[in-house]
Amino acid sequence: MDLQLNYNDPLIMHIDLNSCFAIIEQQANPLIRHKPVAIAAYDTPRGAVIASSYEAKAIGIKLGINVREARLLDRNVIVMMPDPDKYFDAHKRFKKVLLNYTNEVTPKSVDEFVIDFAGSPAVRQGQSLVDVGMNIKQDIRVALGEYVTVNIGIGTNRFLAKLAAGLHKPDGLDVITADNLRDVYSKLELIDLPGINRRYQARLNMEGIYTPLQFLDAPMMTLKKQVFKSVCGYYWYLRLKGHEIDDVDYGRKSFGQQYALGDKTTDRQQLARLLMKLSEKAGRRMRRDGYVGHGIHFWLNFENRMYWAKGRKTKSGIYATQDIFLNAQKLLNEASIPARVTNIGVTVFNLEPADPVQLGLFDDSRLDSMSLARAADIVNDRYGEFTLVPAIMANMQDVILKRVAFGNVNEL
Amino acid sequence: MREVINEEVSVVMVYSAKKRIALPHIISWRSREYRVGKIGYYHSVKVGDTRHHIYELVDKDNSLWFRLNLDSGNLHWMLEAIHDGLAT
Repeated sequence: MDLQLNYNDPLIMHIDLNSCFAIIEQQANPLIRHKPVAIAAYDTPRGAVIASSYEAKAIGIKLGINVREARLLDRNVIVMMPDPDKYFDAHKRFKKVLLNYTNEVTPKSVDEFVIDFAGSPAVRQGQSLVDVGMNIKQDIRVALGEYVTVNIGIGTNRFLAKLAAGLHKPDGLDVITADNLRDVYSKLELIDLPGINRRYQARLNMEGIYTPLQFLDAPMMTLKKQVFKSVCGYYWYLRLKGHEIDDVDYGRKSFGQQYALGDKTTDRQQLARLLMKLSEKAGRRMRRDGYVGHGIHFWLNFENRMYWAKGRKTKSGIYATQDIFLNAQKLLNEASIPARVTNIGVTVFNLEPADPVQLGLFDDSRLDSMSLARAADIVNDRYGEFTLVPAIMANMQDVILKRVAFGNVNEL
Repeated sequence: MREVINEEVSVVMVYSAKKRIALPHIISWRSREYRVGKIGYYHSVKVGDTRHHIYELVDKDNSLWFRLNLDSGNLHWMLEAIHDGLAT
């Protein structure tokens, strides 16, 4: 028997900040409001645009194009580099507003939250979630500024709530229930569904599924065995009907840092210096969260679009910056570098809690290196990042800037 | 266009006990005084143990945007950047 639509009350709310980085910059600077603004990783011609204001989007300045292309589309576009600390502050204020309504607030990224209102005071008092949404919009304007708007979507699961939030941008508030679900799907294309990209769309098309309504009505076995060829088909079958499947906390699996080189190079010494700084950044985050790793993954991208990557598990724990660097340096020594390097990255994986310390029989310096790393962290906590650094990192203060991760914001 | 300045400036600050907020009121920079108009955004960051208060604001005439940084360690004000609202 086919599974029915979920007829429960919609209690999941998805909220996202409209054009987050750009709108916070427009809030901060009233002189650039109602103008095309592009936030780029670098303000040089080849810097990639990572966010744009609604005015910029309207003239085609979208995520991923470079600054030169943006200026060709509109010579008056205002290009700015990101200010991560300001966006983190906005994220915290945003979260504080939402916590006034319920404790079940889950950040999905720096500008997105999911709230589960089941059992919340508002629901117990019989308040409509649409009214709650309107109040949240008002509270966010007070907390972040009058120019900041949010999209709100309400549904029976996270997928429908996110879909609803995207229906009327900017400043929308929509509800999807079992009653209007088919109507909403009938006005959309497959690619409009969150999580469906061009490749998934092609797979669905190959099985004769061309619209969200056909996707909704597709049998579970078709999705599982023919379209997705995995349990993902079953998840989509549930998700589309409004049943919750995405309420999963995957936990922390790794700590990684990457860097897009402004000055591309094949010089291994220069790469080693960058690698040390990446190791220090990843190590600081890992130690702050109380983990030790047992594996290193290192990768390089080249300007000829080739890449090189290798990972290795380690018997002894990786804790200090030097541990990360030395293991990654070994991998760098093994790498073949056929062209100038454009991106470099290092990741520590196989994590376990740093306390208690697992000492190796022949590993008599572990405690020393842990103590040294902790002492260095205390100095950097007190006097600022990169006050105390290994000699190889001398004069690298402005290399590898602070960035905002697109997804996970667990560390905020 | 946005211009990085990074110069120390003189600032008159006002504290309202009623609203419980402290805001810059007048900025004196390069022999000119600018009365503060709208505060666009305020946030603070920690550099080591020291908290820095960042004010982003426009002058009363809405002609220039300022980014001011108050170092709570020594109470010095730094004008970090200005912007006239134009692309170039």
